[in-house]
Amino acid sequence: MATGAETRPWLERLGRTPLIVAFGVVQLLAFATAYTVDSPTLYAYFLVGSVAVAAYALDGSAFVVGAATLGSVLVVALGLPLALFVARQQPGLIAEKALDPDVHRVLYLGVYGPLLAALASLAFGIPLARLLADGFPGQPFVESLVDLPLVVPHSVAGIIILFGFGKGGAFPSVSVLGTMTGMVLAMAFVSAPYAVNATREAFESIDDRLEYASRAHGASRFDTFRRVTAPLAVRGMITGGVLAWARAVSEFGAVAVVAYSVKFFYLPAGKRVTAQHAPVFVYNTYLQGGLQESGAVAFLLLAVSAVIFLIVRYLTDSGGSTGGIQ
Amino acid sequence: MRGLRADVSATFTADGADAFTVDAAVAVDPGESLVVLGPSGSGKSLLLETLAGFHDHEGGVELGGDPVHDRPPEARGFGFVFQDYALFPHMTVRDNAAYGTRYVDDAADPDALLAELGVADLAGRYPPTLSGGEKQRVALARALAVRPDVMLLDEPLAALDVPTRQSLRDDLVEVLDDVTAVYVTHNRTTARAVADRIAVMRGGRIVQAGTPEDVFERPASPMVAEFVGANVLPAAALRGAVDLPADADSVAVRPEHVAVDADGALSGEVVRAVREDAAHRVLVDLDAAGVGDEPGAGDGRGPSADARPDGGDARLSLFSADPPATGERVRLSVAADRVTAFPASRE
Repeated sequence: MATGAETRPWLERLGRTPLIVAFGVVQLLAFATAYTVDSPTLYAYFLVGSVAVAAYALDGSAFVVGAATLGSVLVVALGLPLALFVARQQPGLIAEKALDPDVHRVLYLGVYGPLLAALASLAFGIPLARLLADGFPGQPFVESLVDLPLVVPHSVAGIIILFGFGKGGAFPSVSVLGTMTGMVLAMAFVSAPYAVNATREAFESIDDRLEYASRAHGASRFDTFRRVTAPLAVRGMITGGVLAWARAVSEFGAVAVVAYSVKFFYLPAGKRVTAQHAPVFVYNTYLQGGLQESGAVAFLLLAVSAVIFLIVRYLTDSGGSTGGIQ
Repeated sequence: MRGLRADVSATFTADGADAFTVDAAVAVDPGESLVVLGPSGSGKSLLLETLAGFHDHEGGVELGGDPVHDRPPEARGFGFVFQDYALFPHMTVRDNAAYGTRYVDDAADPDALLAELGVADLAGRYPPTLSGGEKQRVALARALAVRPDVMLLDEPLAALDVPTRQSLRDDLVEVLDDVTAVYVTHNRTTARAVADRIAVMRGGRIVQAGTPEDVFERPASPMVAEFVGANVLPAAALRGAVDLPADADSVAVRPEHVAVDADGALSGEVVRAVREDAAHRVLVDLDAAGVGDEPGAGDGRGPSADARPDGGDARLSLFSADPPATGERVRLSVAADRVTAFPASRE
């Protein structure tokens, strides 16, 4: 099959990076123009059109041009709201919110609560993932239970947690309604499947014979896990933890039901304070203060999440290990 | 040094496949190397893994008289070398070699082993950067480092190219000289080079066990004979040339016991001569009933297949340093005392 580079030597001479930069600059200018004349729709048309032209210039085949054009519609649907959201923020309002101690507490809780939930999901999810990777009687039932939170509406998940662990539930001495415990439980309920499944896949990709080799030469099951299996699956565990964390950050329904506002120990102030989980706070701000005000908070939450996500991505991408036989 | 006595039975099921049962008894004296020889799928690797304790099984495994079958793999006292090395990719060569040393009191020095096997200079490298031969030497060092009572080797040479295989085989023969070992392979050259005793396996069972001489020269069945590289042909093809028991149905004779001989009692036509290392392997289609026309004095037509008894494949292979040309008619002699006859019932 002829590739774009073969059919269009002038593109090859130009190189890949300059092309991407040029395309990006053109898009930015077009968006700025459309936004200035207050007609973002024009930019949507421009993006779809320019993608089609770029696909034709790079490849030329009808299939690629068609696929790129249709795909760009989805990109517009996902990306344009985000671009407009960023463009329409008022820097003054963002700065004001960024200096607001209430918002600090919300952002702190919005990162810290999900972190606890992700760690809890990993602590109990890794052993389960190990067993699921090996297989055991009744496995399909356990698998369905693990995946259940993926399909249960999250407000329903919150109600389930209140039934399970609230008044008259499994642990009468533990209170979940409006507590940190409740919030972490609600987050773990919806995010644990991500931790379990990613870790399980990592375990499954490790060749059985590496474990055989470990055990034949004297290592117990636990030592084999500690010295061989776990180090080889560590990327899967981190991926699972990040996914679980990200899912917990974005959780609204279950948290709103179980722990609408939470009393927790706020380290920067050195005392217990009350705050809401960030998505709940954003929704609350929207109801009380309107779109602009909630947008500023949402922008801050988005920025913090993106930075943490990028840091973790960078850290996990720079070291690697293979689970296969070597 | 301890010997191994085992009689194990284990059944394996896989999705979409019939259950496969390994049911085999093996005995290895201290310091001896037993080669389990068998075609792919005969269950020899599963037998090894079962001995090592990786699979649930029935029956006993004894090392030097101690029963170990109720112990987990880590407490059985085996060293294991895998076909595809199974080195830990996240550990250096040295850490791989030293992996099991913390679990035994009298571990060998991993650095000395790496040096002995010629890979000491790789100690700081990681397995994915090594060649196949280097990896297998490291895997061998890892297994030897725990001073195992018995070494289990699962086709350790199968994944290597020919020159590497030969040099590692030479080293292995030396290493296994003073180790009790069970060595699984489908390669009869390796088997002969390594084995003190050979057990031939098929369908999860051991069909013949004995010295290499026993197995190669006196195969117990036509299947074993074929697998160890002997000519297997209908008894009728040699009748008249060799004295055979009346109930003989098929016979086996190794290529090295067949020779081109102007006074030979067998005749046939050369089908092919293929160079194999130092000699040629010559394939000869035997004339009907073996004893045929005078060489070169025939009517110009070769022997026809339908003239052969029971239409069987009466083709002999032999080695020759000076092979006859393809199509040439030759007379052959067979060392009568090296022919093994099988009655009809033997598979």
